[in-house]
Amino acid sequence: MTAAAVTSRPRALTYGNVWLSAVLLGVMALYPFVFGKSLNFGVSTLLLAGFAMSWNILGGWAGQLSLGHAALLGIGAYTVTLFAIPERAPAWLGLAGPVAPWWGALIGMALAALLALVWGRLTFGLRGSYFTLSSIAVALIIRLVVINEDFGGGAEGLFMPDLPKLFGLDLFDRHVEYGLAFTFVALTLLVTHLLRRSRLGYALQAVREDEDGARALGIDPTRMKLAAFVLSAVLTALGGSIYAIYLQAFEPHTLLELPLSVQIALMAIIGGRSSIQGPILGALLLAVFGEVFRNVFANANLLIYGVLILAVTLFAPDGLSGLFKRRGSKLGTNR
Amino acid sequence: MDPNTLALFQTLAQGLLTGGIYALIGTGLSLIFGVMRVINFAHGDFLAVGMFIALFLFQRFHLDPYLSLLIAAPLGFGLGYLVQRFLLARLGDRLESSSLLATLGLGLILSNGLLLGFGAQPQSINVAYATQTFKLGGVQISLPLLVAGLGTLLAIGLLNLFLYRTELGRAVRATAQNPLGAELQGVNTTWVQAVVFGLGVAFAVVAGVLLLPLLYAFPTVGENYTLKAFVVTVLGGLGNLPGAIVGGLILGIIESLGAYYLSNNYRDAYGLVVFLAVLLLRPEGLFGRTVKRV
Repeated sequence: MTAAAVTSRPRALTYGNVWLSAVLLGVMALYPFVFGKSLNFGVSTLLLAGFAMSWNILGGWAGQLSLGHAALLGIGAYTVTLFAIPERAPAWLGLAGPVAPWWGALIGMALAALLALVWGRLTFGLRGSYFTLSSIAVALIIRLVVINEDFGGGAEGLFMPDLPKLFGLDLFDRHVEYGLAFTFVALTLLVTHLLRRSRLGYALQAVREDEDGARALGIDPTRMKLAAFVLSAVLTALGGSIYAIYLQAFEPHTLLELPLSVQIALMAIIGGRSSIQGPILGALLLAVFGEVFRNVFANANLLIYGVLILAVTLFAPDGLSGLFKRRGSKLGTNR
Repeated sequence: MDPNTLALFQTLAQGLLTGGIYALIGTGLSLIFGVMRVINFAHGDFLAVGMFIALFLFQRFHLDPYLSLLIAAPLGFGLGYLVQRFLLARLGDRLESSSLLATLGLGLILSNGLLLGFGAQPQSINVAYATQTFKLGGVQISLPLLVAGLGTLLAIGLLNLFLYRTELGRAVRATAQNPLGAELQGVNTTWVQAVVFGLGVAFAVVAGVLLLPLLYAFPTVGENYTLKAFVVTVLGGLGNLPGAIVGGLILGIIESLGAYYLSNNYRDAYGLVVFLAVLLLRPEGLFGRTVKRV
């Protein structure tokens, strides 16, 4: 930090660029009325945007680059489905019947929080790339357990059974799913804006920029990172349960694999880790690219991610939104 | 020998030889980290590139994979050299913090490039010795696995000669210890780093070629090996070359024993559990004298 920055007037406490978020939400809300025919694209893009936003709470705010978020997403998806199938979780737990997906989602979120607590406690002692390495390892172990053990349907995956109606709405209706995904993104945005003005948000920025310095100020870095991880995990699991309803059928090879974790992380980083709306922009951009190049690259679509992340690391370390620094609201001063 | 002891020896031999290949992969990764403090997330993808170079040469020109080493190894070196020269060197001060993302992106480009070029279908080569085995005191040993083990020994031996018996090797060690000091002594560290990255990648490519007679080649095969390379290097201590060799052998044996005595389905998990345990308890590696730099 330069001397000039120290002596300059302290920044006003703000929630960040709320207007930009409002505009983004407005666009998202209008989408189904304009593009009613391509709701699938809308739902999956919104979900990815929400995952990228959730990832960024840990990856951007706490500076812990996780490549294992697919595991958390998977916990949400698997929990909601397993509890909705009468012969599975409800039968084993001695419940009378299937558990409604909204309760299932809550259980999934609680499990994800628990996992994040244990996982974080084990790995936050490690700095730098070690956390990233361990996150890949933890996620891979979880994947192997799901594939090999009977409870999760093995390598064949699970089918979502009929679900009860939510306030009279059919959860398998694409419009309803769009609404759920929209709510999910709005929630992640809200949390991020609140985080920006909270003690936790400031502490996280301090830890990210200078861990030893933050410790000297009385901030416990491990606790702060744990809080960020739990928040990120809970939101990711929530998105995962919506994703499961949207997919209706899924297998561990699509839901728990490393490429999904990489995709989520890179969307946020390409969009811009240090801006509030950056991950949404990244997800939008990559979803559009994916759609445009679908026929060219087929299943090699991660090529685009590779090229973009190389370009970003070389030319725009703050991500695409970092290129519009004035406009995009920054999380905080970046060294 | 009674069957149980025999099975144990069989498992150990299998593990030791597989571990040799892991050691080869890990040595490349550790060398790169030791000199440049870069964790190469594309390491396994370079291994996949090696597999596909050999596969291509075999399918197109019927070149024996072991002969294709003569082409693949220099190609790998050149590829690594160029990557360092034109990509990583440009990161400058941000190398340590950005190299993870840069190499991750590079790996995605490599694996998806292979996917575009060769398709997702797993492919293998059909050579007479692929399934050949011979007996050593009752223990069955696969011929290509033995060749891979011997190839590892040779490669690591050559690396040692290079590092400790040549002028350039001395420059490499100096750069690893203190880049600025080496630069002041007239070492062109940018060039040395490019050579080191080239060597590390060449090791991964050689490992890929040696694995081809044993495994199916598919574009994302590297994912698993990147992680294995990390396990090996973390076991041995990042940047510690003899450690990487021992780490490789340990990983091979753990996997073999676990697969035989516990469950084959979790073959890839045993190493990871040990990896996590070592990360938590001894981040400097099992034989840690290396300083914790992160």
